[in-house]
Amino acid sequence: MNRLRSVHYAMIAPAQVLLVAFILLPAVYVGWISLHRWSFADDPVFVGLGNYAAIFADRVFWRAVWNTFLVVNTVVYGELALGLGLAFLMAGWMPCKKLIIALLIAPYAITEVSAVVMWRTMFEPDIGMINWALMQIGLDQLEWSSDPNHALFLVALLSIWIHTPFTFLLLYAAVSTIPGEYVEAAHIDGATPWQTFWHIKLRMIMPALLIALMFRYITAMRVFGEVWLLTEGGPARLTEVLAVYLYRQAFRYHEFGTASATGLAMLVISLLIALPYLHQMHRRMFRHAGA
Amino acid sequence: MLEPRPVAKAARLALAVLASGWSVLPIALVVLASFKPPRDIFAIPPTLIFTPTLENYVRLWELWPGFFDNMRNSLIITAGATAVTVAFASSAGYVYARYASRLLTISAFFMIVVRMLPPIIVTLPLFPLINWLRLNDTHIVLVLLYSTFFVSLATWIMRAFIEQIPRELEEAAFVDGANLGQILVRVILPLVANGLVAASIFVLVFAWNEYIFALVFTTRSARTTPLVISEILSTVEGVDWGILFAAATVQLAPILAFVIAVQRYVIAGLTASAVKG
Repeated sequence: MNRLRSVHYAMIAPAQVLLVAFILLPAVYVGWISLHRWSFADDPVFVGLGNYAAIFADRVFWRAVWNTFLVVNTVVYGELALGLGLAFLMAGWMPCKKLIIALLIAPYAITEVSAVVMWRTMFEPDIGMINWALMQIGLDQLEWSSDPNHALFLVALLSIWIHTPFTFLLLYAAVSTIPGEYVEAAHIDGATPWQTFWHIKLRMIMPALLIALMFRYITAMRVFGEVWLLTEGGPARLTEVLAVYLYRQAFRYHEFGTASATGLAMLVISLLIALPYLHQMHRRMFRHAGA
Repeated sequence: MLEPRPVAKAARLALAVLASGWSVLPIALVVLASFKPPRDIFAIPPTLIFTPTLENYVRLWELWPGFFDNMRNSLIITAGATAVTVAFASSAGYVYARYASRLLTISAFFMIVVRMLPPIIVTLPLFPLINWLRLNDTHIVLVLLYSTFFVSLATWIMRAFIEQIPRELEEAAFVDGANLGQILVRVILPLVANGLVAASIFVLVFAWNEYIFALVFTTRSARTTPLVISEILSTVEGVDWGILFAAATVQLAPILAFVIAVQRYVIAGLTASAVKG
């Protein structure tokens, strides 16, 4: 019964067909489109690397690269710090643990559209609760509708809010598996709590931490809705991120060639970030592989 | 575990309350405000005591009559994507759990690699293709796309759960003359009910909340709830906050209740898939 038969290949086929038809082939096709000028209404015209030259010469593109870089790094490290702190907090002494975890993961259920509604409500100029409170204590409001830096800050803030549950749960699962004996042994040997944390706990969850880091780098780079719904990339295209740039090129300006060049750039960056992880997975999987 | 001192306990509790507030307040604010009379929504200082009213919900019903059709679209697409994902993932997960070959390993590695690609890029070739096939603005496109982006995660989860079932059970059923289909349906599936829940959560939440594919591939009749909320948010004559809050509340209530009800499966699913890769 452990002989692999064609019926077993038929059983993995539906999943594989989806991935090939809707991810692999489209991704290859994006590479092909990126070498053409194409508005989707007419026939594609081969332009070689012209689209790449065009986006690399576009200041809006570089602004989008820079904005993506800023937002992604703020989001990933903010989230990792918050998620790690919460993971250790919840893994230790805590009453009503289930209830508190339920509250902490609530943002995971919220669509980015409603998240934008929520945070915009709090930061609405003059009347939003937080902007009003900032004014009351004599500080400046967050001018997210006119100041690009403020807008990107709000994007990062609400992005952290919505994605922290995922990072928290990944790290919480890792922290919960640290064997109690290790920590007790360190305690008996006279290690300070800080030493225990730094040399034992953190080291033991390092693999999970690195995986969370890699996954969040890749997924944070896809940020679209938060920006699009808050500013549409404005004012003056100063708050665009890569996904917004791609969307605008394709679905507003019908420049599928430059949009595809942008998409390919995103794809290559994602794979480069994932490379150490993929390399490790490759080694592990093919070492165990039969036949 | 060492029992912390009272001061440490108080500090931990305070941090937990603070963190819960950060998570829940934005949601609570919008839900509460959806029951406020429109003129009180941005009252300063904020009104905490008010007579709850369904006025905003009534106006949502009157002014956005399509909203509830869009809810139905979301329901159909979410149910479809979840069913497709879980069915494909269970059958593939079983093979990956029980068999090994070079070809299987290659296909498994391929499943991991494609998870790294940014989903937005597939809109570029698919948008013209789907237009050409006259499939834009249909449920099926979103069902297939959502399934595609979660089938590998779900397969991994199912594989991890199926690996825990002793092979002897299948072998016994096999000796009794059961065929592969019967073994899967009668022996395996009942034992991996937890896995089925864990594998369905991620695609279900994603499909219910997804924005960019819905934005690109639907125009009118297949539009989902998040799109309508975004439309209410960007109404030209100034945002009608009351209606917006009512719509957001209707959209988030069922999925929030679901996520909280299945929270332990979320953790189980994440550990089964992401931590182990």
